[in-house]
Amino acid sequence: MMRATPWQTGEICGPVSAKSLNKPEQLKRVWSKAKKPLMIVGSKASTIKFGKGDMIDFSIEFSKITKTPIVATGGAVKHFIERGFEGAKSMGVMEIVGYLQDPKWKGPHGQGPHDMILTHSLPYYMEWTMLSGIMNFARHIVPISLSRYYQPHATWSMPNLKEKNYQELLKGILVFVGGGK
Amino acid sequence: MKKKAYIKADEAETSFGLFKGLEVRIGQIVDDEWDEPMGPTPMPGPTTLRSWDYKLLTKYQPSYMPYCQVCCLCTFGKCDLSGDKRGACGLDMKGQQARIVLIAANMGCSAHLAHARHLVEHLIEEYGPRTKLIQGPGTEIHAPVSRLVTGMRPRTLEDASIILDYCESQLTHTMSATHTGQEGSWMDFESKVFHTGMIDQLSMEIADLVQVSTLGMPQADPDAPLVESGFGMMDTNKAIILTIGHNVVPASFITDYITENKLNDQVEVGGICCTAWDITRHDPKAKVIGPISWQLRFIRSGKADVIVVDAQCIRTDVVTEAKKVGSPVISTSDKAVMGLPDRTDDSIDSIVEEIVSGKIPGAYISDPHKVGEVATRVALAVKPVRRKKRYFPSAKKIQQLAQDCQKCMECVRACPNSLNVQEAVLAAQSGNMQPLRDVFKNCIGCARCEAACPNDFELHTWMVAVSQKICENEKFIVRTGRGAIQDTEIRRVGQPIVFGEIPGIIAHVGCANYPGGGQDVHDMAEEFAKRRFIVVTSGCAAMSAGFIKDENGQTIYERRSGEFDAGCVVNVGSCVANSHIAGAAIKIAAIFAKRNLRGNYAEIADYIHNRVGAVGISWGAMSQKAASIAAGFWRLGVPVIVGPHGSKYRRMLLGRADRDQDWMVYDARTGERVYTAPGPEHLFYAAETVAEANVLTAKLCIRPNDTSKGRAIKLSHYVDLHEKYMGYFPEDVWKYVRRESDIPITLKDKILAQMKENKWKERPIPDPTLLKEQVFTGGE
Repeated sequence: MMRATPWQTGEICGPVSAKSLNKPEQLKRVWSKAKKPLMIVGSKASTIKFGKGDMIDFSIEFSKITKTPIVATGGAVKHFIERGFEGAKSMGVMEIVGYLQDPKWKGPHGQGPHDMILTHSLPYYMEWTMLSGIMNFARHIVPISLSRYYQPHATWSMPNLKEKNYQELLKGILVFVGGGK
Repeated sequence: MKKKAYIKADEAETSFGLFKGLEVRIGQIVDDEWDEPMGPTPMPGPTTLRSWDYKLLTKYQPSYMPYCQVCCLCTFGKCDLSGDKRGACGLDMKGQQARIVLIAANMGCSAHLAHARHLVEHLIEEYGPRTKLIQGPGTEIHAPVSRLVTGMRPRTLEDASIILDYCESQLTHTMSATHTGQEGSWMDFESKVFHTGMIDQLSMEIADLVQVSTLGMPQADPDAPLVESGFGMMDTNKAIILTIGHNVVPASFITDYITENKLNDQVEVGGICCTAWDITRHDPKAKVIGPISWQLRFIRSGKADVIVVDAQCIRTDVVTEAKKVGSPVISTSDKAVMGLPDRTDDSIDSIVEEIVSGKIPGAYISDPHKVGEVATRVALAVKPVRRKKRYFPSAKKIQQLAQDCQKCMECVRACPNSLNVQEAVLAAQSGNMQPLRDVFKNCIGCARCEAACPNDFELHTWMVAVSQKICENEKFIVRTGRGAIQDTEIRRVGQPIVFGEIPGIIAHVGCANYPGGGQDVHDMAEEFAKRRFIVVTSGCAAMSAGFIKDENGQTIYERRSGEFDAGCVVNVGSCVANSHIAGAAIKIAAIFAKRNLRGNYAEIADYIHNRVGAVGISWGAMSQKAASIAAGFWRLGVPVIVGPHGSKYRRMLLGRADRDQDWMVYDARTGERVYTAPGPEHLFYAAETVAEANVLTAKLCIRPNDTSKGRAIKLSHYVDLHEKYMGYFPEDVWKYVRRESDIPITLKDKILAQMKENKWKERPIPDPTLLKEQVFTGGE
């Protein structure tokens, strides 16, 4: 399968890198196996567009459809609270990397141990380093990046999509997990 | 204390005659005037403090985030270390990552140590080995780091040299451990990282002590001079000499030459990076142009008639860049010769003549005496011609060039902060230059966008060119580095710090690799200064803190005192002055708790870790030096926060708040094991945003020893900041309540409810220590 190149051109990695996520159906196998996913939402979520809203809205919708708990990093939790969504907890992204390496960790909501993480809206290089920690030292977890730009340390990552294609894929993912109607 | 004395002179004139290559070994000198007993670990080797390191590394375990999954350091490789694989040498991924951290710390330490060695050798040559070392008035406990680590009081330059001998031997050991087939345990690599950090702190203390003692710098002076700074402060009616780096010696000879020859109305000297602080400490008429990230913008402005580089943090393409604007470059350090011809032994007249005529683009001159005169004479000679030239393209020219943009996004992909350079270039096509100015505001000056551009657009130059008005208005008054903290100041604040009533010491240090501009540093410093924390600054962070004016046109240094006290902002100086921040924490143990410092590292680190609410922040940490500086604080048990780019150090040191067993201490009074709250929760942490950093900073100031009053004050700041930046009342406050008197009165209802919900039980406030042996001495 074709591999994309990292968005920040210097951020190449080693022999193992993410598969390109172009269609929601590609997630069928890993999503059907995932028992306890966790969505990690970065500080840029309120500045990245999703439809007429932003990635906070996307996260809330995804969480409501799939009952996936959300952990917001870098103060993003404030936006969830402002929108009346109570399912988001706050942690630092570096803390999450450390905790997720423990296969017994129950997660910020006590609903773990988690076997999949879905990440987006972090600074590119921080998502990159975070996913490197997961890929190398939390191998019980399947990391999926829902960010627009390619994250080589995920299992699946979008291959530096154009804005229009990114929006379509995000909407397709909501449909794929049972919503978006 | 016994020590060996060794005197070396290239040439010595005595009553017996002239000696060349004279070397005298005296054997041992006994420092019998010091009655403080020697502690258990003078001049520790790489494993002497291993058990202390293990205590910290068990509590704060490394979380690695590898940059790549291979090792390419020997010809067995490349070895794929992904998954459970081991390399041909037997090392696994975790060990390899710890090894990389140690390599980085060694690089950083070597830079400070070599700097210190150069200073000591130069100053011995200038002033003699018996020259007294003076930290300043009110510093009876001078050189606290040296006392703590080596058991020595460095009283002369010769003593300083002996301490550096020790540092050099330790650095050789820790560096050698990274060789293939040496250390194999990640934990022992990490222990050596701590050791290297401690050696780094020691070498920084020596570097600053010797320069403060001999070069006329402020000596522990809370009223250190306010000096002019900023791009716009440089007077282009005069010839301008730009100095870049960290080692002040050559720059000091420049200002001395200018003063001695009464040329101050014709020439001025400005500095970038730490040389800026040290040159203004030596001569307050000099100016601080800006932090490391302003290097390229100032060079390309063409304002510098001569550029003098010394050591560390210099753009390695400085000669290429300087050639573009016709500025001659003088390199002065064997660490950064920059490919220039060595003219050290030539006559000053001939060097000046060759540079001014353009026969050579500059020169390497290792003799600082010559640098002073050459730089000044060249600057004066080339200035008239250079001032007639224009160095920036016009807006019209930029607009014209921008039409050829290929819209490839390579500039954006190359930018560390993903700034939308392409969008700014596209706006410039229609003559709208504002987006270029917006990018410039948060630009760290790396010029990677230019390197990536297929059209070879000089994008950074464009940004600077259209932002000239902004640059010209950058005029600030900042307080130069004061050096050490006085014992009397420690006496005043020691108790409130240890009891928690001054909620913390927040040190903003390090480089300028900011995720969103330098204003963040100012805002963070102001946030905590107004809450009456003690805010300390150094290095490039100290500049950024001072480069914002309030509504009255004043900078943080004009608004706030330079005393080491609550609500003050204390600039200690350049990178090597970071040692004074550690020194202040160490002196609290000596002055307030009457602990012996001499060769007594573990006890004092344990004291600081459990009692002194200090937090280091390096928001723009970039270098390996920043890594080794942080490591020095880790070994003292002081937590360090870095900005988001700091995640690229690839290793955090994280506590587990949910594991009660990690937060047990001995009660020194009874010997019982007692649970304390997770404080400080982490030892090394990269925060994603200012919001996260501010909340974490307040939380990391919590220490097991806080009195109830102190704990209540710390909790009220933590809650307030959490509500401000996270938008809700933090859920873990109850964990930090030991007895009801710890609860801030205004928050009582909420916290009591939280305590009830979590089945809180009262617990004792221990006399905390991680060291069992401290129980038997009774603690305080």
